[in-house]
Amino acid sequence: MLLQLKNVFKWVNSGGQRVFLLKDINLTVEEGEFISVMGPSGSGKSTLLNVIGMLDSFDEGEYRFLDEPVHTLKEKHRANLYKQYIGFVFQSYHLLDDLTVQENLEMPLLYKKVGSSERKSLVADTLDRFNIVGKKDLFPAQLSGGQQQLVGVARALISSPKLVLADEPTGNLNSKQGEEIMELFKQLNNEGVTIIQVTHSEKNATYGSRIINLLDGRKI
Amino acid sequence: MIHNHIKIAWRNLKKQPFFTFLNTFGLAIGMAGCLLISLYIHDELSYDKMFADADRIHRVNNNIKFGGDERLFAVTPAPMAEALKNDFSEIELVTRFRTRGSALVRKADDLANVKEEQTTYVDASFFEMFGIKMLVGDAGKALTDPNTLVLTKTAAEKHFALANAVGQNLVLNNEENYTVVGVIQDFPQNSFLRDYTIFESMAGLEDASVVNWGSNNYQTFIKLIPKVKAADIQLQLRGFLGKYVIPGVQQFMPGVTEEQFKAAGNHLIFSTIPLTDIHLYSHMVAEISANNDIQSVYILSFIAIFLLLLASVNFMNLSTAYSLKRAKEVGVRKSLGSNKMELVRQFLMESGLISFLSLVLALVLAVVALPFFNTLADKDISIPFANPIFLMVLLVSVIILGLFSGSYPAFFMTRFKPVKVLKGGGGSGVGGSGIRNSLVVFQFAISVFLIVSTLVVYQQLKYIQGKDLGYSKDQILILNDVYTAGDKVTSLKDRIKQLGAVKNVTLSSFFPTPSSRSDSTFSPENGNTSQENAVSMQTWGVDYDYISTLNLELVAGRDFDRIYGSDSTAIIVNEKAVRVMELSPQEALGMQYTPDFDSENPTYYTIIGVLRDFHIASLKEDIDAVSLHLGERAYAMAIKIVAGNFANTIKDIEGVWNTIVPGEPFDYYFMEDAFNDTYVSEQRLGNIFVIFTVLSLLIACLGLFGLAAFNAEKRTKEIGIRKVLGASVGQISIKLTLDFLKLVGIAIIIAMPVGWYAMAKWLEDFSYRIDIPWWIFVLAAFLAVLISVFTVGFQSVKAAIVNPVKSLRTE
Ligand SMILES: Nc1ncnc2c1ncn2[C@@H]1O[C@H](COP(=O)(O)OP(=O)(O)O)[C@@H](O)[C@H]1O
Ligand SMILES: [Mg+2]
Repeated sequence: MLLQLKNVFKWVNSGGQRVFLLKDINLTVEEGEFISVMGPSGSGKSTLLNVIGMLDSFDEGEYRFLDEPVHTLKEKHRANLYKQYIGFVFQSYHLLDDLTVQENLEMPLLYKKVGSSERKSLVADTLDRFNIVGKKDLFPAQLSGGQQQLVGVARALISSPKLVLADEPTGNLNSKQGEEIMELFKQLNNEGVTIIQVTHSEKNATYGSRIINLLDGRKI
Repeated sequence: MIHNHIKIAWRNLKKQPFFTFLNTFGLAIGMAGCLLISLYIHDELSYDKMFADADRIHRVNNNIKFGGDERLFAVTPAPMAEALKNDFSEIELVTRFRTRGSALVRKADDLANVKEEQTTYVDASFFEMFGIKMLVGDAGKALTDPNTLVLTKTAAEKHFALANAVGQNLVLNNEENYTVVGVIQDFPQNSFLRDYTIFESMAGLEDASVVNWGSNNYQTFIKLIPKVKAADIQLQLRGFLGKYVIPGVQQFMPGVTEEQFKAAGNHLIFSTIPLTDIHLYSHMVAEISANNDIQSVYILSFIAIFLLLLASVNFMNLSTAYSLKRAKEVGVRKSLGSNKMELVRQFLMESGLISFLSLVLALVLAVVALPFFNTLADKDISIPFANPIFLMVLLVSVIILGLFSGSYPAFFMTRFKPVKVLKGGGGSGVGGSGIRNSLVVFQFAISVFLIVSTLVVYQQLKYIQGKDLGYSKDQILILNDVYTAGDKVTSLKDRIKQLGAVKNVTLSSFFPTPSSRSDSTFSPENGNTSQENAVSMQTWGVDYDYISTLNLELVAGRDFDRIYGSDSTAIIVNEKAVRVMELSPQEALGMQYTPDFDSENPTYYTIIGVLRDFHIASLKEDIDAVSLHLGERAYAMAIKIVAGNFANTIKDIEGVWNTIVPGEPFDYYFMEDAFNDTYVSEQRLGNIFVIFTVLSLLIACLGLFGLAAFNAEKRTKEIGIRKVLGASVGQISIKLTLDFLKLVGIAIIIAMPVGWYAMAKWLEDFSYRIDIPWWIFVLAAFLAVLISVFTVGFQSVKAAIVNPVKSLRTE
């Protein structure tokens, strides 16, 4: 078991009232799964992903990640867990504009305090693997959306996470580019990486092994 | 339309209160500082311009090099005035001053004296020369008779009502009888006569009409006829050496010629300086009043311009930074068909509005700060709110400042491409950060420069104040006007010496303070009065306790001693004098010199001791040659007291004073203070530096703070991404702060050599000066870094703790 959410609630107070963003979520994810989260806009998909990714807190319930009780962990410990095991892919790529492709890839390794030579070889391997060696010195603005997202995925994977969280990774891409990214995810999944993606597309959802539907913060 | 502009401008400013505050406050500080300095400079430049024909009045200067010593004198021989009148058709009027310092004044039938600090003899032409009108009395006839005087309103009212002032009898210094012939208005603070209250008729001063070209005691002023230039009379004035001075000298040195005089390396050059230049450009011996230095005006002008520039730069920087937030507004307006000029006008209106708000705030700040500034600068400046010209200048300056500061941001903003900014990303990619960074570097460079300067000025002052002067100035109290005790002066001295807290007492008119001057030229005994052997020395009459009271150190020979009857013709000189004589201290002992080699029967003085050199003037100047001899009536008494309760000791001394000379003013000062007074202008410079360094730092910090806030906001997305990629709060805070510190670092690198160079130049003025220590630069850099870390750090941490979920939300 990779992670498990038990009776997770998340709410905000608005006008003296509790507005629930997540309601009583129970979810167990095994290693090697490929899950698609679906639901209408505003149903809490991103919130759920952020909670799983430990970017966001929740108000009630339990969250275990690799048998560690995330909800009771200290900030620092949680950060370490997160740095080591989780990679994020965003709809709008979120590459750092001022850095080249290569430097963008290097960033998570720097924060993980990976040594210089290891960093170099990891970056080189990744560039190679994603077929973007020729683009390594370009800035994000010089790439197409599909290429940028490719870099985004590559960056999420460079520190070999166990879990990749992708929030509408193909939302800004045309269908051909989207398909390529999905193929890539499938391939990664075959190599053992666990993937949870948010998607609006039925077709993309079929790449996954399981679909979770959300409505108003509740699993249906 | 303009109404609409103002309305929208006001709304925009209200929408960003933080930005508006930073901008207004920064600009206001700069304006207030600049305003105060401008008033100060205006005052400095206004000296002596109030006199009716100020532009035609000049003073005669005297540059003498004689006996190995070169000096610039503000005084000339007495007959100079008569000679000028006779020889120059270009000169309309001549008048002389013979300053005599303080005087005790009482009405003939009063007992108690009042002390007036500055009095002077003047020629009767004084009134016409300076266009001075009488409040009572007849300016046309005043001061033509001996023993008459004119006083200022303030001085007169201490004794009688103005209406019956004329004809009153006054006694000066308990022995000179004068009749009051008129009362004049007090002189303004910005005139060279500001401290003078009593003007005695020159007609009663015998020395004034003796034709003696050998002594210089008279400040001589001339008024040129209209259209004559001072330059036109210089050549003929130089001719006075051959025409008057040399023939005068020949009376006692027969056969001396101008050629010989010059061949011995001597010179004597008469020249003139315009009256209105004296205050800022004249630093001669025997100035009528203490002057300032044009250098300080330059330095202050620099600071004023810097301040305004800093504030303006701040404004540009913050405005362009914040304009990025408004990129969208510009894009929308443009796509709605607004033309460029209209946008520019809108933004200029905003900067004009801020500029105007700043002016209001600046005036408030200036009014509040004015009393402190006046104390600091030793001025009595007021803000001339009622002066329409001042208000005009203010208004025009504000408009110019607003346009200047607003122009760059306005044009910067209107350059935004609507398509680009509307597509998203706010202002990112719009650029301008290079210029903003350069502006920050510029601001900090100036701040660092000012920090370095301040530290150097203070180090130099500390050095001067701590320097071994060759005598002990600590715990020495100088009691003035002891001559009023007359014969009882010895019992005064003895009674004071008996006081428990008094260690030693000495009577003299001369102490190692800059006001003590009495130059004489000494010649050696072998009758060789040629100029090569003459030695120019200060001649100070002292008593037996002088050397021991002041802790002067003998390097050869002995002190005066009562057991030697012959000590009345003994002198003790300092090492400098011996150096000029080209002797060693040991060789000098027993040598005989005379100060009156021109007399039939010169008195020869034997050197019995040589003192280690001691400073008498400010450390800007070299040490003077000094000789001490016994005797003469003393004007003052130096009292060495033990450390501790000064107030009680002074009360005891005053008690003795009041029993021996009841009714005379008890006037004293500490030698230490007199010494420190020598450095008032440096002290003042130091204080002004501190204040304006702080102000410039404050402005720079406001700018940096605003920019950091803006930057953090602009980079929220980037910060969010970095956090998602695993960066910690600490790492991000450090990165954001370091980005700014890089700029500060560049500023430091630029400012250091400039600061070093400028301060080395400043130090050149001092004969005794520090080497600029390296730690000053380290400290300045450290301060700059520390201050910027504080300023930026807060913003950085604030930005770094934001949850990335918020900053990266796509919708
Ligand atoms: N911090 C928050 N405060 C208030 N409302 C929030 C917050 N975060 C998310 N929401 C709201 O919660 C709902 C779920 O958001 P989100 O998870 O982004 O939906 P989805 O990704 O499914 O479109 C939305 O209505 C959103 O506006
Ligand atoms: Mg979403």
